[in-house]
Amino acid sequence: MTAVLGGLTLNLALGLAIVAIILHTIYLRTGDGRLFLSGQRAALAVSLLSFFATIILTQLLIVSNFDVDYVAHYTSRETPLIYKFTALWAGQSGSLLFWLFILSIYAVVTILQNQRSQLKLMPWVMIVLVTVQLFFLILVNFVANPFMPTEADFVISNGLGLNPLLQNATMAIHPPMLYLGYVGFTVPFAFSIAAMAQKEMDALWMRTVRQWLLFVWLMLSIGVMLGGWWAYQELGWGGYWAWDPVENASFMPWLAGTALLHSIMIQEKKDMLKVWNMVLIIITFTLCIFGTFLTRSGVMSSVHSFTVSSLGPIFLGFVFFILVVSFGLMSRRMKLLRSNKRIESFSSRESGFLFNNVIFIVMCFAVLWGTLFPVISEAVRGTKITVGAPFFNQINIPIGLVLLFLTGVGPLLVWRKTSKQSFIRNFTLPVIAGLVMALVLYLMDIRGYVLISFSLSVFVLTTIVTEFAKGIRSRITVQKENALIAFWQLLRKNRSRYGGYIVHVGIVFMFIGFTGHAFDTEKEFGIKTSESESLSGYTFTLYKIREEERPNHYAYIADIIVEDENGKEIVKLHPEKRIYFHRNPDPERRQPHSELDIYSTMKQDIYSIFNSVDLENGVAYIKIMINPLVNWVWFGGFIFVMGTVVALWPPKKEKK
Amino acid sequence: MVSQNKFFIAIIGLVFVVGLWIWWATENPNHEQALVKFLSVEQLFKDNQNDRIRLGGLVADKSIKLDDNNYLSCNFDLQEGELILPIHFVGVRPDLFKNGAEVIVEGLYVNGIFEADILQTKCASRFEGDLRDAESYNLDEVSI
Repeated sequence: MTAVLGGLTLNLALGLAIVAIILHTIYLRTGDGRLFLSGQRAALAVSLLSFFATIILTQLLIVSNFDVDYVAHYTSRETPLIYKFTALWAGQSGSLLFWLFILSIYAVVTILQNQRSQLKLMPWVMIVLVTVQLFFLILVNFVANPFMPTEADFVISNGLGLNPLLQNATMAIHPPMLYLGYVGFTVPFAFSIAAMAQKEMDALWMRTVRQWLLFVWLMLSIGVMLGGWWAYQELGWGGYWAWDPVENASFMPWLAGTALLHSIMIQEKKDMLKVWNMVLIIITFTLCIFGTFLTRSGVMSSVHSFTVSSLGPIFLGFVFFILVVSFGLMSRRMKLLRSNKRIESFSSRESGFLFNNVIFIVMCFAVLWGTLFPVISEAVRGTKITVGAPFFNQINIPIGLVLLFLTGVGPLLVWRKTSKQSFIRNFTLPVIAGLVMALVLYLMDIRGYVLISFSLSVFVLTTIVTEFAKGIRSRITVQKENALIAFWQLLRKNRSRYGGYIVHVGIVFMFIGFTGHAFDTEKEFGIKTSESESLSGYTFTLYKIREEERPNHYAYIADIIVEDENGKEIVKLHPEKRIYFHRNPDPERRQPHSELDIYSTMKQDIYSIFNSVDLENGVAYIKIMINPLVNWVWFGGFIFVMGTVVALWPPKKEKK
Repeated sequence: MVSQNKFFIAIIGLVFVVGLWIWWATENPNHEQALVKFLSVEQLFKDNQNDRIRLGGLVADKSIKLDDNNYLSCNFDLQEGELILPIHFVGVRPDLFKNGAEVIVEGLYVNGIFEADILQTKCASRFEGDLRDAESYNLDEVSI
């Protein structure tokens, strides 16, 4: 019954979405305020109905109503409650509904926030938002309906269960964060289209757009980082980024969005680059839809993609529609977007931003090229070529290092033109620090990208520290504050600038972590109880293989003692080999799964995998990896998030 | 003031250089796993490839044979329609590797045997499989 209600809710939402678009369109022609009001209410109703549909599906999942196909496919009676809940985005149709759910949250927030302040833009904003909602409503109504009944002529006593890989706490947060980012780009896009349509290009909408952008960009960043964290903790290949098509799909809008965040500052401060920013907003949003297409269409084989479906052409059609409409509108507003201002010098901050933008976009293109290369090569040369991670690394490492370099240079440039004196004053210390680092590394026999990366990291960190030091020092002299208060006030008075610097520090730490990858070592071995193996100066002794039955799986646990060169015990590791669905009589349906154990320090991770067990002979097959500096990636990610929060924090209203 | 043309040229130049770099890297990958041809078993038999290649197919029923001496080594047959390709793989086998599984292998074809060093399984199928009735669950004993 409830399932039918869910289906009906989606039907109704679809109908109301069309009504909302029509009402807003007529309002724009006639100016009759009542139509605008009804239009907004219809739009609100679309969102509320989408919430309702999502709540119904969640309820069906929680009570394990296996009459619904989706519930039977992605949960079982044994699935823990939290993962029954997260099964909402585990499959095709559920995740499309989830997209709609998030978009509806944003739509409601947009309506509540702007219905008075942005009267002129709102009708168009709503038309764009509801059109995107309509697109997803069409999908969940006609192509992938999450409320479809189970097709079976017997009573389903239990569902198939959730993939054990997805039964991880990170997996409960990673997709929603990613979606909050992906979907969120719809709002700045809607505002930009509205601004162009209404020829209203003042600073107000720009400020709205910037705040939104920063927020959704933060969500996307957290989503991407959590994805890497999950892969590292769960997938058992010892890495966090594989350049999988779907990872790339989330990375491309991030790159475009990051470019946009930088160049939008030029528009705010200098009223320049308006055309370019508009292009970036359109590209970023299109890449978000394209990313969803890559994940959901099955056109690329990847760990993330579901089975091949009919969604592909529909998504591509929508991407095409977005591009044609947005660029069509843009070409009619070119006069309005053109700026008379000019960049004055190569050594200006404007110019720095511009080149940073170009590099970001070129990198985005490089990732797109690699991602689509199998399709391109098949079309052009007739042979399908698969693209591996080494290809992406080869292309992107140098580009990434150039970006790292610009991270150091950019903030030291001043608007309009940097004088020679200030150039020398600002860069002497950082350059010397970087060179000293390079020399030290050279003497340690380290060469190549590793040397460049670490030296650039020192260079960039020094520039940021000197920037902070300069600010703090001047506050100490002028305001007579102590250093700590000066630091705090510095952050408070200029959130976006110093927040940005903190983000850069996070990025540098992440680069340090990435570079550690060059020193990874690993070893695979079979081992009996009380035998030992060694790797990189550490000794690994197996002292026990245990067995344990748990609610939804059966586990073999290898207890390993890790000792350093002096025979001192460092840690005990307990990697597990789990069998999910172990009570199923059909061995083909049982699902083995390796649960890792990682000993993590800032210096390195000791990463252990229990590959398989030979009970007859008492042998455990173990893989050990030593991955230096991985924690710097997560630590850098944390700083990155903190920096963005500083930049986002709304300034306190000063009392006059 | 710098002429805007100079900026334009600088940007075009930059894009050109990076474009060239991407093109060069595509033509000269620095790693054997960077760009690999994906063939069907049929194409492999027809052209007798010497390059590193990637193949997909099913693990033929009951064809997996583990090496008694080396745990990491195994032989199995890859099935594509009627065609059968014998495969030798050394390394850790993924959790879902079993008879009938859909796999992707990468390696070299030498003297009638495909020497694979990468073995991946497609994982989605199990969770998109057929639903079952009550009988397949009424089991009390734990059987692994």
